[in-house]
Amino acid sequence: MRPFRILCAALLLLLPSMALAHGPVRQKVSVAVDVAASPAEAWAVIGDFQDMSWLPPVFDTTGEGGNEPGATRLLTLGDSDGPVVAETLRRYSADKMSYSYLITDVDVAVLPVTNYSSTLTVTPNDGGGAHIEWKGAFYRGYPNNDPPAELNDEAAVAAVTGLYETGLAALAEKLDQ
Amino acid sequence: MVLLAAGPGAADMAFVTNQSSSDLSVIDLGEGTEIRRIDVPGNPAGVAIDHVGAAVFTVSPETATVTRAPLTGAGAATSLLLAGQPIGVAVDSPRRRAFVSDWDNARIWVIDADRMQLLDELPTGGAPAGLAVSPDGRWLACADRDADQVSIFDAETLALAHRTATGTRPFGITFDPQGRLYTADVGSDTVSVIDPQTGAVLGQTPTGARPYAVAFAGGRGFVTNQYDDTVTVFDTETRLPAALIEVGEYPEGIDAAPDGRHVYVANWFSNSVSVIDTETLQVVGAIATGDGPRAFGRFVAAMPAKE
Repeated sequence: MRPFRILCAALLLLLPSMALAHGPVRQKVSVAVDVAASPAEAWAVIGDFQDMSWLPPVFDTTGEGGNEPGATRLLTLGDSDGPVVAETLRRYSADKMSYSYLITDVDVAVLPVTNYSSTLTVTPNDGGGAHIEWKGAFYRGYPNNDPPAELNDEAAVAAVTGLYETGLAALAEKLDQ
Repeated sequence: MVLLAAGPGAADMAFVTNQSSSDLSVIDLGEGTEIRRIDVPGNPAGVAIDHVGAAVFTVSPETATVTRAPLTGAGAATSLLLAGQPIGVAVDSPRRRAFVSDWDNARIWVIDADRMQLLDELPTGGAPAGLAVSPDGRWLACADRDADQVSIFDAETLALAHRTATGTRPFGITFDPQGRLYTADVGSDTVSVIDPQTGAVLGQTPTGARPYAVAFAGGRGFVTNQYDDTVTVFDTETRLPAALIEVGEYPEGIDAAPDGRHVYVANWFSNSVSVIDTETLQVVGAIATGDGPRAFGRFVAAMPAKE
């Protein structure tokens, strides 16, 4: 099973036909969720770079280097034979409850992006709850002019948006159940 | 011709290309607010100020156009369609030439800045990005990103003068007031310093992660670090880092006020411009922009005195 791909395919059906596109333009996506759980509780779930088990498509996380910048992790998606995403931690602050990472290797058939960087941040809300934000900057999967529909800007934004929405919804459910 | 001397009542303005929202934020830097937003189709990134022509040039990669619009907003914009992938722009204002880099075809287009017509092409290394003209008007320089080099041309004759190796993947390129050339090397986290007269590398300065562009004020260089949300400050004589300033997210385009008292940073992810006091090296303000400000080039202009 390849949940990322299924998600992408579903979202693509919703997209309007695209205009003729030329060179790639960097895209950005930001999705946030507010939960009743405290910031510390939220960070306890997502704050370990070596444990991505809160994200539904992730079957397994293995890695090296803990939470130090330069640490790596491999996310196996779906099941033990599923596709693998390689990521590197570039910034980590327990004080700010934020970490930033890069994807160093992913098949564009799994996630149709290139040069992907991302940040997860927890901030306090009034009333004691937590605001969890997931942000990404990336280029589409096809770097040259006139990309196929499944690798264009809209496909990249749709896939990352879907990933973040899925992940944060699952996180909110886990924290506030 | 319009004279643009700063004087009583004059205001500096910033012209910030917003790539995601396809428009230009016109910011009154004295007031610290956006006063106008102009539609610029095609996801503009590159920007340059034409002081003599009192115009702002922007480059839209999606529509493959370079556009000239009047600084004052009064009057029509003119566009030129280019057969390639335009990205960076610089203007040789006295000679009435604009230069636009063609990312896909390793060349610079030379354009008549008044008539908006193609005059010539100059060959570069692969993926030419940033362009700059030296303050004394002698040199045109181009950061050839995929060739890890700069191409330096005689700005009068347009003859190639030097090709000089830089750090890895140079992107933004700027001359300091003394005429030295600097590249922000995205792949090696360095700034390379080059003497355009001889083509010699004078040295390198370490930066934060993924440096994008460099600006100068008060004997210091200011480098945007895209991946660190910071600006590295270095001394232009010693080339040693002097300070690190936290700005908005994904900082990109950077330029200095004509009087050198402030440096302005376009934060691509935050949709804002950070204002840095160049004496205290503190952020003293943030100004909202459109979506995805890149401001790749020189984007601050001294405006004519107000009536």
